[in-house]
Amino acid sequence: MSVTALTFILLLIMIASFVLSSIKLKSPDISMVVAAIVIAVVGMFMFPDLGSPVMYLVEGLFVNLDLAMLFIAASIFVNIYSYSGAVSTITRGIVEKINNKWLLITIMGVLMLIPGALTGAGSVAIFVLGGLVNTVLESLGVSKRKRTVFIFFFAILSAAAPPINLWTMLMTAQANMPYVGFTWLLLVPICIAGAICIVYVGWGAKPEPKEETLKKLPERTEGMTWWRILLPVAAIIVLFVLALVAPWNLPVLGLPLMFVIAAIVALLCNPKKTTGKQYLGILDDTMEQVFPLVANVLSIGVLQSAMAATGVRGLIGSTCVGLPLVLIYSLILIIGPICQGCFNYGCSVVLGGPLIFMFNTLGMDVTVICAALSLIFPIGDCLPPSRIVGRLACEETGYTDSYLGFLKSALVPILAIGLIAVLMIVKPLWFTFLY
Amino acid sequence: MVFLENLIHILYFVMAGLIGLSMVKSLFKRKKNGSIVFDIMYAYCLIPFLLRVLYIK
Repeated sequence: MSVTALTFILLLIMIASFVLSSIKLKSPDISMVVAAIVIAVVGMFMFPDLGSPVMYLVEGLFVNLDLAMLFIAASIFVNIYSYSGAVSTITRGIVEKINNKWLLITIMGVLMLIPGALTGAGSVAIFVLGGLVNTVLESLGVSKRKRTVFIFFFAILSAAAPPINLWTMLMTAQANMPYVGFTWLLLVPICIAGAICIVYVGWGAKPEPKEETLKKLPERTEGMTWWRILLPVAAIIVLFVLALVAPWNLPVLGLPLMFVIAAIVALLCNPKKTTGKQYLGILDDTMEQVFPLVANVLSIGVLQSAMAATGVRGLIGSTCVGLPLVLIYSLILIIGPICQGCFNYGCSVVLGGPLIFMFNTLGMDVTVICAALSLIFPIGDCLPPSRIVGRLACEETGYTDSYLGFLKSALVPILAIGLIAVLMIVKPLWFTFLY
Repeated sequence: MVFLENLIHILYFVMAGLIGLSMVKSLFKRKKNGSIVFDIMYAYCLIPFLLRVLYIK
């Protein structure tokens, strides 16, 4: 039997073990590791030259370790900042001062973008701001289903927003591309799709009196001043800018350490009397909150390493290179999100990486295409089996009706971002002015 | 500059150690996701942090 046929059998075994494990264990993360172990063991018998699978399975855990540390550090910063009362104070201040419905919905959308943009995880945006945004939208007369759509959609947009977009990071890491030039390429489509979502959600909503809204919001934190609110955010922005402006005059801090420094600033700016035990409680809660995401990126690394060692990744890559472009253009909006629903961030390795290589072979602008793919993948966060963000959004708003009904309602903004992304893939040269 | 770079390098090891400790704690005692599936996930996610702290990798 040829090597290609053997590798194809391995691919089928991988898919079968992933599906069976997902059904039995109900977790895409551990299923990826199970699939990796299965193909590593079977691969050892098929290709004896491969040697022991233990080495590359353990090495796989290190592939995305930096990303995992970034996740944890950023979430610690966001949670300490949120605990200090800064987020609720900002929200209350905005609601008190602004009377325009459209402006208020827009600000809620922009606020929701920030935690996810800083941490790379849409779920963090829901954890930090979901409840407050839900209250404000409810007071504006937005229906429960549309509130769920709003929170879900801005959560996935926040995950895709720069500076931290994990799909792009994983794809660029695979393709040996620098993670540079994505800021406007990601921000502009996000702003357009966000605006469409705001119009869709706000259309026909009738606001209730402002006093009613303010009653539902948490009180201002005593002692929370503007400088306490601004300083932690300013710290992280200054560190980002310094790393970009003066890279030769400063030591390389790295994103995780930058967030740790910002978290220390947030801790110092906290006006509440907080004991060390309470801070430890925040850290423990943060670890539990981000663990599914940490497990996801580490599991992706294991699968990535096993796929690379056994040749499965090469097989998918070389098959993708031979696919007709029309097929990719017409199916990417369906396959991309489904793949995300199955593998979470792993889709950028299983599907994204090979597609980048394919478009690179065709001489197309892979920076634009990489950004476009990372706008398509997050859509799958509402699809089974994982549906992490969709499920969280439903829990946050207390939406208990049909999940399919929610998906149908979310179709308008999803199509908006999806079609922009497909246009970016079909005509990447039109968007090169954005970087 | 070299001193600062070395310091940052050490800080990352310390961070890995602290995260590892927190994971060990969560492995035995946590508020949610208490199933055995998560026990296994915590156990294998601990490996890279442990190996890094021990200077093995």
